[in-house]
Amino acid sequence: MISPRLTWLHLSIHALLIGCLLAVFAMLGGCASSTPRMADVRAFAADAPKLNAYHELTERYRSAYERQQPYLAPAADLRERALDASRKQASDDFRRIDDVVQAYLQALGALAGDRRYDLRDPLKVVGTGIKAWPDTGLEDRHVNAFTGLTRLLSRAVTAPMQERAVNDLMRDASAPVQQLLDAMRKLLRLYDRSNDNEQRIVLGMLEMEIPYLDADRDRLLIALAKSHLQEKTAEYRLIGLRHTLARKNLDLIEQRHRALVESLPQP
Amino acid sequence: MSIEPHSNTQRDLETLADSLSASADGLHARLMRAIRQKMPGTSDPAISRAAAQALFANEVALRQHALGLYLEAARLAAVGLGGLQKQLLDVTAQAQEKIRKIDQIKDLIALTGELLSLAAAVATGAPEKLVAPYEKLKARVESM
Repeated sequence: MISPRLTWLHLSIHALLIGCLLAVFAMLGGCASSTPRMADVRAFAADAPKLNAYHELTERYRSAYERQQPYLAPAADLRERALDASRKQASDDFRRIDDVVQAYLQALGALAGDRRYDLRDPLKVVGTGIKAWPDTGLEDRHVNAFTGLTRLLSRAVTAPMQERAVNDLMRDASAPVQQLLDAMRKLLRLYDRSNDNEQRIVLGMLEMEIPYLDADRDRLLIALAKSHLQEKTAEYRLIGLRHTLARKNLDLIEQRHRALVESLPQP
Repeated sequence: MSIEPHSNTQRDLETLADSLSASADGLHARLMRAIRQKMPGTSDPAISRAAAQALFANEVALRQHALGLYLEAARLAAVGLGGLQKQLLDVTAQAQEKIRKIDQIKDLIALTGELLSLAAAVATGAPEKLVAPYEKLKARVESM
């Protein structure tokens, strides 16, 4: 539903956004502490990599077809291929969510550092680029949260006072960040349920077929199939643990963010 | 009976997908039980391989419908829309209960077939297409 040209445009805008933000952080540099509150904000922002588990699981969700394909009968393969196309398209949008939340956390960390910053120009680009997003299939609330957040980031970086800029950014970003974290939590749950079904398609096929093998004639095949079933069972168990970890990390970030927002000084 | 053209919320789609997953779980348990029962005097499963494969194909199709609904729910995770009919959930719940109880493989295949056409109608998102498969499934569940 989006043309390849548009997709390319969005991807490049996205890359540009991340690039600009990285440039911002490089210029901001340093993190000598100013006040205890700023130290708290920096410590919180340093947790950004905890969102990587979400990122990994989004990638895994995206490649569900490739993993299931060897176990699918022809009719099921056809259905799964159709599903795969829309899953891949949607996942492109899903993985941008944590990119922008991570960008926010990193910007927050850089802002809470101690150096001076002056970055009017590159961030203007961010402001214009984001407008193209609503056509991608990423839904309204989402795009609004995303657009709002990038706008806030650009405003915050040009603000004169460090601590005030950090507080303003957190205060204004609190709602969109909350919504994006919410969306991530929902998506994680849906990946998890999808993973359950994928697991049962893969393991189920093996469980169902093994009893029909002939104990003498198919000895080798039986051994291989049983060993493969064990490996696959272990793989899915690990993914289950990864899901638990991703959820916990997300909860932790949400709680700490909320605590920092609640302790904001009155404007 | 009325199935009104309500739009689907993310939560409703998810619940329906959960319900289809649970039906597939029930079907799988029933299938494995049948496979473990041996033909008298042999070590061959009591149910033929073709029948087992047909049942498993239905199980996979149910799961794929669930996967499709989860994907749709994921897309809707960021927007709020209306609600899906509770009747669908009731009738799939009844079908699950039947799957648990039926011993006849033939009936089991037929029942899951009806469940599948209902799931397919849900996936098309056209409410008028829901009525026929819904009535059929309901009639089958009631006749068993």
